[in-house]
Amino acid sequence: MSTLDPHACRLRVRYKKDGRLAHLGHLEVMGTVMRSVRRAGLPFEVSNGFARRMRIQFCQALPVGASSVAEYFDLLMPEPVNADEALDELRRCTPPSLAPLEAALLPRRLPALEAWADRTQWDVLLDGGVDKQQFIDGLEAALARGTLEFMRGDKPRKLDLVSTLVSCDASASEEGLRLVLQTRATERGSLRPAVLVRSVAGCEPSYVCRMGQWHENPDGTLLSPL
Amino acid sequence: MRLAREDLFWRIEPLLSMVERPSRYLNHEWGAVEEQPGPFHVCVMYPDVYDVGLPNLGLAILYDELNRLDGISCERAYLPWIDMSALMRERNIPLLSLESSSPVASFDIVGITLAHELVCTNIVEVLDLSGITLRADERDEDEPFVVAGGPSVWNAEPVAPMFDAMLLGDGEHALALISECVRDGRAQGLARVDILRRLAKLPGVYVPSLYDVVVDQTSTRWGYAVPKEGESVPEVVYKHCIEHLSDTEPVAQRIVPYLTVVQDRLTVEVLRGCARGCRFCQAGMTYRPVRERPKDQIIEAVNRGLQTSGYDECCLSSLSTTDHSQCADVLHELYAELGEKGVRVSIPSQRLDSFGVDMASAARSSRKTGLTFAPEAGSQRLRDVINKNVTDQNMDEAARNAFENGYRRMKLYFMMGLPTETDEDLRGIARMAERVAQIGREVCGPRSRVTVSISVAVFVPKCQTPFQWEGQLPLEETHRRQHVMLEAATDRAVRISYHDAETSLIEGVLSKMGRTGFDLVLAAWKNGCRFDAWTDQFDFDRWNDAARGIGLDLEDIACERFDLDARLPWDHVSPGVSKGFLQREWRRAVDEQTTKDCTMNSCTGCGVCQTLRVSNDLAGERQ
Repeated sequence: MSTLDPHACRLRVRYKKDGRLAHLGHLEVMGTVMRSVRRAGLPFEVSNGFARRMRIQFCQALPVGASSVAEYFDLLMPEPVNADEALDELRRCTPPSLAPLEAALLPRRLPALEAWADRTQWDVLLDGGVDKQQFIDGLEAALARGTLEFMRGDKPRKLDLVSTLVSCDASASEEGLRLVLQTRATERGSLRPAVLVRSVAGCEPSYVCRMGQWHENPDGTLLSPL
Repeated sequence: MRLAREDLFWRIEPLLSMVERPSRYLNHEWGAVEEQPGPFHVCVMYPDVYDVGLPNLGLAILYDELNRLDGISCERAYLPWIDMSALMRERNIPLLSLESSSPVASFDIVGITLAHELVCTNIVEVLDLSGITLRADERDEDEPFVVAGGPSVWNAEPVAPMFDAMLLGDGEHALALISECVRDGRAQGLARVDILRRLAKLPGVYVPSLYDVVVDQTSTRWGYAVPKEGESVPEVVYKHCIEHLSDTEPVAQRIVPYLTVVQDRLTVEVLRGCARGCRFCQAGMTYRPVRERPKDQIIEAVNRGLQTSGYDECCLSSLSTTDHSQCADVLHELYAELGEKGVRVSIPSQRLDSFGVDMASAARSSRKTGLTFAPEAGSQRLRDVINKNVTDQNMDEAARNAFENGYRRMKLYFMMGLPTETDEDLRGIARMAERVAQIGREVCGPRSRVTVSISVAVFVPKCQTPFQWEGQLPLEETHRRQHVMLEAATDRAVRISYHDAETSLIEGVLSKMGRTGFDLVLAAWKNGCRFDAWTDQFDFDRWNDAARGIGLDLEDIACERFDLDARLPWDHVSPGVSKGFLQREWRRAVDEQTTKDCTMNSCTGCGVCQTLRVSNDLAGERQ
């Protein structure tokens, strides 16, 4: 007899994005994951709209060029499956640089992943020439101003740095200046590491990796997606 | 010079963050053959960006076939977009293959698809970026053999100087034979020219450097090609033709791209060839005979292809899918199996009758967005001239059926500048579109938002067709006729769009010229022309300047009519359709006589079956 909870029809999968595939855009990753699900032969719900599509949800877009070990998607299924077996099938059918790492069955009714996962930790590397103290001074000056002003394409943007940057630890390493950033997504926007680095240090980061995503409770505690 | 085979991805990786759509250059797609042990290496290339080239079924077939062979590996390459190629030139990085990121100039064979005339300057760009010597007869002994194939080889003389060999017809088995021939010749230490001589003996292989171009009173000003003195090569090279499509692998397309490509779906070729006999259609003449894949093979292939690729759409591809003798059964069976899985089945073109509408409905079912038909001409007289065997009644019935089936948008394709065309024929286009709109309002109600879009291309006379002797419209006359049609259309439900007359003129020029056309192609490329099929990149002034610089007049070339008995620049290559048949069809066109489809009626005497020793291969009775 099956021991699967009949209400647990949401398969949440953590996957990575690294190597060359770090250069994929969000839509490209979504398309690849959906095709991997189809190849894996997993059951999935189909929307009833004009265009019938797989019912799947993704977390917030990762910038093009950034790696990650903490990407998530939720697949809505008509019936629960064994999560470990589903993970094995997905691994078999997914390009290694987007390999699924963990999977769990969750209740069907949950808030959308994109809005729910609002806290992120980033590992950022700035190679050569950026002095740690200079960076810290620049960051403090930016925090004192309160907002970051930057260009997205040819449009000027503003972002509240105080509410979107939770913390920043800088340390010098052999490869360059390493930053561990904790950021928060708010209704008014979220902070991208490259935007911060560009504004504070005037250069591009050589490496950006999303290390973790969580939901922040009102009391400030963090809740893991799995 | 042959470059060393080495992985140079590290050289382009730093550029990825600086270019548009970096995923064009990544490789490692699902289904790509990453292990490339060789030792004989072939690179197949589409001379446009990845997103346009990846869906090309011809290259997919060759890639799949060559990678199954022992000792031969096959990789892909595409032309980088202008941002990437500028960076590569700046940093002296040669064009790389995708799988191993090796220089294209390190391969044994480079195969390039001639998809259409407007890729000519891209081919120069490809060779230049690769560092391969541009002219085949100046290449070093150890440089790659550059081989062309694809739908536009039938007058490839304007690009012939860049190719060591050209493959005419079906690529299955043929590129493998070419590869083995080059491999064995190299192993035996043969000189390049001796390997070329061996290649010229393979079926469907034309070696331009073994032919001279002669201009005399029997020819046009572009001359004709004859075997060089002392060379034992055929006077006419006939195409390579497979007998049964069912003998080929139906799921050739195995690579699943990361980025959205122009045809982002699984493609299964359900039949090859078309015998409807439209007199303007080059593909209709050059892909004969008709070879159908049987229903069970199609169903199995679609299911297997969807399972291994993960696509959510499948296209049943061919020149005329709804002509397949088992089309209805295939579509109904596929829809029953796939509809609930959110998988769409599409067919690329609809037959212009009620059956075509039924089939479109069966394929799309829930997605009733719009239907596309190609009446091609606005009057019955002109449709008879071009042998488009459809009537006004067919059109009206198809339209009524489509609107009754829930479609609200109709797109109609036409051509202007067809032989014998009058202003009255052009007004007929507007009348037909308005009649279809009126039928829509009758069926769907006067306030329904029925729209009829008509797209009007400029007729380009193509070689190996009954209209190959015809000239193209001058630019001014094209613009005048566009105006005539625009004035004739008064219904607000009818929307008219045109193909660019200048682009069509260049297409016409390159379709007409002989080997000296290469001077024009080269001059245009030096003038900055590339990606000419891209509207935002095409620059007519640059082409005009290039032509003037070498003493040519583009309009004069495109609009020239050839004498029916003249020896033509492409007479030495043949798809098997005889010149006599084409001349007869030309005369019948002038007399407004139609010719039937030989898959539903008796033989029309085109000559393909006798010449190539093949025949139509149908899976059932056609209706």
